[in-house]
Amino acid sequence: MTVIDPRLQEALDGERDPATLPVGLREAYVRLLAATELLREPPAVSVADRVMAEIRSDAATSVTAPAGAARRLTQWFTRPRAVTLRLRPAWTLALAAALAALLLLPGGQAAVPGAEEGIAQFVGHFPGARSVEVVGSFNDWRRGALPLSDEDHDGIWHGAVVLPTGQHEYMFVVDGERWVADPLAGRYVDDGFGAGRQNALLIVRP
Amino acid sequence: MTLLLLLLLQSPHARLEGRVPAAALPVIDSLVAQAVAESLPTEPLVQKALEGSAKGIPVDRLVNGVRRGLVQLRDARAIVTRATPTRAALDGDVAAVAAALARGLDPRLVERLMAATPAEPPGPVLHAAADLVAHGFPADSAADLLRTAQREGLRGTRLLDVAVAASHELQREGGRTPLQALARVRAMLPNVPVAPPPHPRAVTRRAGPGS
Repeated sequence: MTVIDPRLQEALDGERDPATLPVGLREAYVRLLAATELLREPPAVSVADRVMAEIRSDAATSVTAPAGAARRLTQWFTRPRAVTLRLRPAWTLALAAALAALLLLPGGQAAVPGAEEGIAQFVGHFPGARSVEVVGSFNDWRRGALPLSDEDHDGIWHGAVVLPTGQHEYMFVVDGERWVADPLAGRYVDDGFGAGRQNALLIVRP
Repeated sequence: MTLLLLLLLQSPHARLEGRVPAAALPVIDSLVAQAVAESLPTEPLVQKALEGSAKGIPVDRLVNGVRRGLVQLRDARAIVTRATPTRAALDGDVAAVAAALARGLDPRLVERLMAATPAEPPGPVLHAAADLVAHGFPADSAADLLRTAQREGLRGTRLLDVAVAASHELQREGGRTPLQALARVRAMLPNVPVAPPPHPRAVTRRAGPGS
């Protein structure tokens, strides 16, 4: 059995500030948070559920269909018919892969990085926050461009974005007013405005 | 005409106007103009002005922050020129060196690292060095390790993996000194572990400048 480091356990339980963890444990903390988010995601609607829903829908349609020729015409259009498809195995596999991709991948939001781009993932633990966003050099320090989400209201805010490779400075803005350097960033740089505040530093890899 | 309009919209002044406090704008414009006159990159100064304005930094500190950025760019360009005397200083190299100085790297170390591989973009090796120094490794020993890694064929962001490996070695149970940790990583070169790529559930396109 793998024994979890007690400091990591304390951070996961919210009893320790994750920023105080050593680098290795901080990375483990981020990975565990990300894994938790994945496990919380409800499974996609199954094919069987969808088929049963279609059958129920057909049954309801046949009960309420109009009478006479119009009814027959309607039934002709709406009645299920056996259709024989002859597919080569290769096409069947391709169709199955496409169907799996449609069901399993998050709908419509995926963005693929180009050659000079990479994915930046942001995770922050802000229990009780009403909003968290990322503001940085990649969006001209403009507010509202990259909000993080916490659908299950567990205080773990996350988001991911495609960015150009290289160095980016950023901060979290919590509840629209509190500027916080990402406690899990691992790299920081003085912001240069004389108050000793630091920006988090992100290096996006291709 | 359209091209002219686009260039005008992308000019530093156009990007700053309306976002930077009016009281700070003329001074920042002049600092940017100085950078242009000295053939220094202007983007770091524009970013610093936008950052300070977004954070609500008072005008005097905002202007000082941008002015400090200009001084850092001049220092950076001097380092780049000394380290790579045979070619013109590239904006990207100057910005990367300025960023390394902002992270607290010793200018002599920066110059040494840059001179060792003049044909390589300096950003990754400088960040790797800054990572090592930030984790308590002696600067000279850290630089030696990175030079060894480069001789072993590691380039670009793979050098960041060297810094990560050294930090992991330092944190291993049993306790290692920084020098022992560096020696362990040197022994495993060039086969330091590759950082795992992020696997987020949903990725969006960046909402870029001007959005």
